[in-house]
Amino acid sequence: MTEQLVIGLDVGSTTVKAVVVDPASRAILWSDYQRHETRQAEKVRELLIAIGGAFPDVPAERIRIFITGSGSGPLRAPLGAKFVQEVNAVTLAVERLHPDAGSIVELGGQDAKIIVFKPTPSGETRAIASMNDKCASGTGATIDKCLLKVGLSRAELASLPWDPARLHHVAAKCGVFAETDIVNLVKAGVPAPEIMCSLADAIVAQNLSVLARGNTLRPTVLLLGGPNAFLPFLQQCWRERIVETWWARQVPFPRDRPIHELIRVPERAEYYAAYGAAIYGLDEATDAAPYRGLDALNAFIAGGRESRLGATAGPALARDAAELDAFRRAYTIPPFVPATVASGTVVRAAIGVDGGSTSSKAVLLDAQGRVLTKQYQLSKGNPIADLQELLAKIRGFVTDQGATLEVIGFGATGYAADVLEETVRADVNVVETVAHLRSAVQTFGEVDVICDIGGQDIKVLFLTHGEIRNFRLSNQCSAGNGTLLQAMADQFGVPVTAYADTAFQASLSPTFSYGCAVFLDADRVTFQKDGYTKEELLAGLAMVLPKNVWQYVVQIPRMAALGTRYVLQGGTQYNLAAVKAQVDYIRARVPDAEIHVHPHAGEAGAIGAALEALRVVARRGTSTFIGIDAAIHLTYTARTDEETRCRFCPNLCARTFIDARTPDGRTSRYISGFSCEKGTVESAEALKVITDRRKSLRVAYPNLVDYESQLLFRSFYPPEPLPDAGTPIDDVAVRTTMLGGIKKRAVRRGFQRSSADAALARERIQIGIPRVLNIYSTAPVWRTYFETLGVRPDHLVFSDVTSEEMWAEGGKYGSIDPCYPSKVCQAHIHNLLFSKPRHAFDYLFFPCITHVPTFVVHTMDSASCPIVAGAPKVIRAAFTKETDLFASRGVEYVDGAVTLAEPHYFARQMFEMWGARLGITEDENDWACRQGFAALRALDEDLQRRGREILERLEAEHAVGVLLLGRPYHLDPGLNHGVLDEFQALGYPVLSIRSLPKDPAWLARFFQDDLARGFISSPLDISDVWPENYSANSVQKVWAAKLAARHPNLVVLDLSSFKCGHDAPTYGLIDHIITSSRTPYSALHDIDANKPSGSIKIRVKTYAHTLARHEERLRDLAAARSELERRVAEKRAQLLQARTATEPRNPTMDHVYQAYLVEDRA
Amino acid sequence: MKTYEEIDAELAAFEQTERQRLGLDEPTVAHWRDANPQRFTRAERAHTTILFGGLTVAHDELVQAALAGLGYHVQPLDVPDTDALRVGKEFGNRAQCNPTYFTVGNLVKHLIDLRDRQGIPVDEIIRTHVFFTAGACGPCRFGTYVTEYRKALRDAGFDGFRVLLFQQQGGLRQATGEDAGLDFSPRFFIALLKALVLGDVLNLLGYRIRPYEVDPGATDRALAASKTILRDALAHRRLLLPALWRARRALAAVRVHRLQPKPKVAIIGEFWAMTTEGDGNYRLQRFLESEGAEVDIQPVTAWLLYNIWEHTWDTRRRMTLRRDDGGTFGLEGTRPRRKLLLLAAAERALRATFAGYARALGLRGYHLADMDEIATISHQYYDNHLRGGEGHMEIGKLIQHTEQQRSHLVISVKPFGCMPSSGVSDGVQSLVTAKHPDALFCAIETTGDGAVNVQSRVLMDLFKARRKAQQEFDALVAASGSTVDALAGRAAARGARHALFTPPHRVAGTAANTLLAIVPHLTPPPRNASPRTASPPDAAAAATPPAPHGRLKFENGMLPLVRVGR
Repeated sequence: MTEQLVIGLDVGSTTVKAVVVDPASRAILWSDYQRHETRQAEKVRELLIAIGGAFPDVPAERIRIFITGSGSGPLRAPLGAKFVQEVNAVTLAVERLHPDAGSIVELGGQDAKIIVFKPTPSGETRAIASMNDKCASGTGATIDKCLLKVGLSRAELASLPWDPARLHHVAAKCGVFAETDIVNLVKAGVPAPEIMCSLADAIVAQNLSVLARGNTLRPTVLLLGGPNAFLPFLQQCWRERIVETWWARQVPFPRDRPIHELIRVPERAEYYAAYGAAIYGLDEATDAAPYRGLDALNAFIAGGRESRLGATAGPALARDAAELDAFRRAYTIPPFVPATVASGTVVRAAIGVDGGSTSSKAVLLDAQGRVLTKQYQLSKGNPIADLQELLAKIRGFVTDQGATLEVIGFGATGYAADVLEETVRADVNVVETVAHLRSAVQTFGEVDVICDIGGQDIKVLFLTHGEIRNFRLSNQCSAGNGTLLQAMADQFGVPVTAYADTAFQASLSPTFSYGCAVFLDADRVTFQKDGYTKEELLAGLAMVLPKNVWQYVVQIPRMAALGTRYVLQGGTQYNLAAVKAQVDYIRARVPDAEIHVHPHAGEAGAIGAALEALRVVARRGTSTFIGIDAAIHLTYTARTDEETRCRFCPNLCARTFIDARTPDGRTSRYISGFSCEKGTVESAEALKVITDRRKSLRVAYPNLVDYESQLLFRSFYPPEPLPDAGTPIDDVAVRTTMLGGIKKRAVRRGFQRSSADAALARERIQIGIPRVLNIYSTAPVWRTYFETLGVRPDHLVFSDVTSEEMWAEGGKYGSIDPCYPSKVCQAHIHNLLFSKPRHAFDYLFFPCITHVPTFVVHTMDSASCPIVAGAPKVIRAAFTKETDLFASRGVEYVDGAVTLAEPHYFARQMFEMWGARLGITEDENDWACRQGFAALRALDEDLQRRGREILERLEAEHAVGVLLLGRPYHLDPGLNHGVLDEFQALGYPVLSIRSLPKDPAWLARFFQDDLARGFISSPLDISDVWPENYSANSVQKVWAAKLAARHPNLVVLDLSSFKCGHDAPTYGLIDHIITSSRTPYSALHDIDANKPSGSIKIRVKTYAHTLARHEERLRDLAAARSELERRVAEKRAQLLQARTATEPRNPTMDHVYQAYLVEDRA
Repeated sequence: MKTYEEIDAELAAFEQTERQRLGLDEPTVAHWRDANPQRFTRAERAHTTILFGGLTVAHDELVQAALAGLGYHVQPLDVPDTDALRVGKEFGNRAQCNPTYFTVGNLVKHLIDLRDRQGIPVDEIIRTHVFFTAGACGPCRFGTYVTEYRKALRDAGFDGFRVLLFQQQGGLRQATGEDAGLDFSPRFFIALLKALVLGDVLNLLGYRIRPYEVDPGATDRALAASKTILRDALAHRRLLLPALWRARRALAAVRVHRLQPKPKVAIIGEFWAMTTEGDGNYRLQRFLESEGAEVDIQPVTAWLLYNIWEHTWDTRRRMTLRRDDGGTFGLEGTRPRRKLLLLAAAERALRATFAGYARALGLRGYHLADMDEIATISHQYYDNHLRGGEGHMEIGKLIQHTEQQRSHLVISVKPFGCMPSSGVSDGVQSLVTAKHPDALFCAIETTGDGAVNVQSRVLMDLFKARRKAQQEFDALVAASGSTVDALAGRAAARGARHALFTPPHRVAGTAANTLLAIVPHLTPPPRNASPRTASPPDAAAAATPPAPHGRLKFENGMLPLVRVGR
């Protein structure tokens, strides 16, 4: 057969690309590029018809067809096409078109790919390709979603210049994390161009640090994919950052070629995958993949889909029309009719504003709390601008009716509340949870559960007597659900208001797995490929929402225990498809549930804020609000430059100043973009005030987490000096018998010392140790070991505390993407290698700690987490795979395994590792090991004493202290994001697990009942709640939770890092333990590199609200108990007195007794 | 006058009234504890169904038959599917790993099915069923599966359901008392072992034959027939050898054509993810076969050998200490020499059982891994003390597969966020692949959803592996000076088209090895010198000073020590 044409097709997640290639010249004869809007097969047919039209003389049997792309699977058979994996297709195209390419970076809608061409020893070139993990976005879809939030048009984005001078922190590890950060920046008033540049920088950094898998991009670099092609600022960012890595890693590159050639965007690169597929076909046999024509494709379009989906698809949102009608009647929110106000009157009302993640809402409430009007505004990128538009509409509502408005109170909530509080002097800045509580209770009275689903956050409150008993908030990984519904509708060209009607048309639905929004979007790609329509996809997505709320965020499978009165709030509840799914889900688990949708679902937060403003103003008598006219005519500027940068610590945060000026000349400044309290001030005097306040807080409310994190790394324990040579010691001589048996015999012999030269050499040795992972629980062992052997204390250096800057500088070596505490080790090693100019280290010591000692008794084991234990080996791989960076710095990296649970074996392991290196004898080694353990004990004793003092004081004062349930590395302020400081600032002392007393006698009173009933054999035993207790740090967390459940003055803050596998089994245990005792509890789970400021703020404020109630209750109880004691004592005295009074007496004996009393016995 | 008793009673009543008045009459807190129901007696055995599952279909079916032969009423659960995953996620803890969700969800799903579809009351389900599973060593989430089973069962409304476990590392003597419903006697473990080894051999044969079968489906039919024969023998406690021969005849009848150059793909990784044959790894084995690959699986026996190796190594490392430690690994109060002898005997018995069954069923030329070798070659990258999951084995296997040309592609499959595998091994593998540029290595994480992305990534590397296989084959065909058709005739004449024919291992591909076996004087194409031998990484130096010559060797199971000062 003489072939005439080869077609290459690329069916992606959003588009179809086709090329027709001439086999002889390999030139592209025809090409086209179309969005498919989930109708891949139809779009492919359209393109094939077009190809037929363009080449009318070539019969179908002389065409071959090769296909690539994530959506190509089902189309292979009908077309007769052969599949080529897309990365391979792109590689083939690049190899042909750009033989000089050293690497490729392709960002697609869903996927990101990096291909590095490396020469092999045999002289060939090997393409090392990596694609983003499922849990790592940073792609076109993320840019699109963020674009919505910052309010820029695509045209504006395309002309945006790259400006590296004003970058803010954005976590691009994952699209959802990035969105959360973007929302915070938008609401803090940071200008949109700065935000988009920050996002670009974060995406590039993420790809270079994680996606590149530790490989360095080699020149020439090709930037492919939509975002790279169309966004010049992103291209520039790549250029800048890639060149930085070349400098840092000493990669040779031609200095004489302009950078835009070395890192370039080829033209028409969108066709590379399709072209590569065709190129692949040209190397195949000439009879491979003959095009079958359109008939099979037509048949597939006509009937193939349903027959394939039938077996696996889920149900529709409603069984039939009758069910749907009944549901609509019950749950359609009646249209809001704004109030009519009489012309000429003065309307006295309060305004509530909720500056949400994607939109801002405002309500006007009369003095009785009735909603007069409500206004909605999609975010336009600046919260003050949004507010001004909202206020103008509210004022217009009143003035248009001929009346005048007098604002008697102004309440703000949501992401923008802080900036509004400052600029317009809001009466209240109320946390969202409390705002929602107020609004729901005002409308429905006693309710059990409030479920609020906004664009970014999910908040679920559990109530008792109108107060928050407990709450669950979405964290970084469960955020963005509301936005996802909207974004998905947008993607299919469906207005969000038509979402429900579209979804209700579906007769079946794909079953999404619940999880984060990025995972859901990945599922969507799969389902699209399977052939689901947009109606079905929207229905499926609505149905996964309740799973995300109740299984992912709330995590309480027995919903019936929560109560029966549910209120659904938040903008997402306007989407009836989402409500239907929620109602069905709840009813299936709580059959007698009474489920209400708030009549002002989207404005519930704003209503709550206004109600709170009314309450506060009524109590205070005046409002602080600057007035509606002043607010509308407020002028403001937002600045981020060198002048606004915070210089009070080495972090040098890029702050944004928003300066507002009212028409009458009053000014205010709102500062955002700082990472600690120091950023809130501008002068040294103001800083001193803050510092002094911090000091006094430290004394009044000690933070033992902070204290422990510092003490651990200090030289606080003077070790006992090594005995002199020959000092008699008891030892055991070990001999192996001929049959392989071991004989041991006690001996007494002299202590052996190494030479004076060796000792002198040790004085010069410098050792660096990363301040990470289980070093946080064992640091004194290492320091004391080396100090005992004669290494100078100032020659033992720990890396710095984790910081964003450290991560940004040293976080580009990883080939994997585990939890942040493990991943950040590379930055600490980098810090030791490159940021300690005063130290010339001989060794970097990062032991694989397989086991750590634990105070909990009767455990199955005391193992470290496997990632924690193995991290040193991963670091070795990362720092030696391309260039041995240790060798290049003249440092030896020492990473042997040690177990601290077996002291004798530990000594053996240490000697194997350090004997030769330090020139020590085994006796010296063993002595130093014992000193190390003694130092650890000293640390424990000190902390426990301080912890006990705090607890006893709390008991006496009927106050509470916050116990950090975390793993050892959560002591690191860079990992706990300073959340404990927030509690200290609120007046709560903070305790660590190590600081809890472990003396069984002291603890016995809290575990009396468990001991008496034989559930445990010691207060330090947890087998009653967790028999499978292998992991030392998890076990300690569970024990601490048990104590907190029994100690009236402890409340819990539970920290857990994203991807923590050792914490996962404890979530349910801790929840059971804490819930059964009704101990106040807040969790910040899935914490990662980025500081989730918004999330922390809501939690801290909501928790503070709960803690204040808890302390009140404790004091009330203490007072009541004291009164009870007094009353009972009085009653006893009274009863005994009465008995005495009525007791029959013998007068004679009384006489004798009286005589006895006066008798003179002398 | 009131008695003191009367006064006390009045005072108590007064106190109670006052407590109420002051709001102090709240009930005392009932602290939570895990009831951990375990009771399963011998008397209950007759009317109790023991549920279990989690390995391959062949293993599960054979274990069922073997335990039925001991008088147990045993029912394997279906291979976990995505519905099981959904149930697991609903009732399990957040952030668990996939195997947990799949297996825990599978049990709960089964019980829900009993309750809702079969209408069996929950009380009765709890009374008449138990679940039996293996415990683990602990470092990764696998060690806490049982915690998760109990949580999910409680939350799904099966409070009180019994989950029984034996410790994988507990050896043959895990007696649970005279009255125990499950008698963890040597007889029990030997029956279990037989079934596991038979399952391994059958699976290995299946994956060898199926890619080259001439009649589609013939291998699966022969495997089904073989399983029926073996199950029958195990369940009725008949002599196994005749059954093995009959099974072998069924397998031998499959017609094959081995001169098809197919990429050989080794699947390694996390134990469950690489073992399951269902949605838990997107049916990876069958997917690869459908894409034209031959799959090299890891037998369960290798895992058992690793368990034995761990104990042996740990004991040897500690037995020369001057003083013994307590704890999980310490030898205080133990008899190390005796323990080592028992472990050696266990290993020999396991290897002998495997070799015997392999020989009888026709599995030729298969060598169970040498655990000491794997430990030795991997130690410089991944310290042998590090445990959890497959420990150092993933590293060792990749090095072996690359250096010994055992496969064209190594896929390491693991659940999303698997601590030992994604969190450590994959990081270390980046160094291994840097030192072995010939290695084609693909690490994939499974979440149960997003199959398209994972399969796409696999196809990316399979594409390269296919080319390697083709080049390897084409070079040999060219060197033979013959044509493929002519060589096919020669293969038939030399018995290479027999289903159980196994060419000696010379290169990675089966087709190429077949050519090398049937064409005299044909030699494998030269390959690049092993980079490891050329420039050994300096990793070992850090933990232990290097041995004087070349690769580190264990001495008596220990790394050589350099003593200073004595």
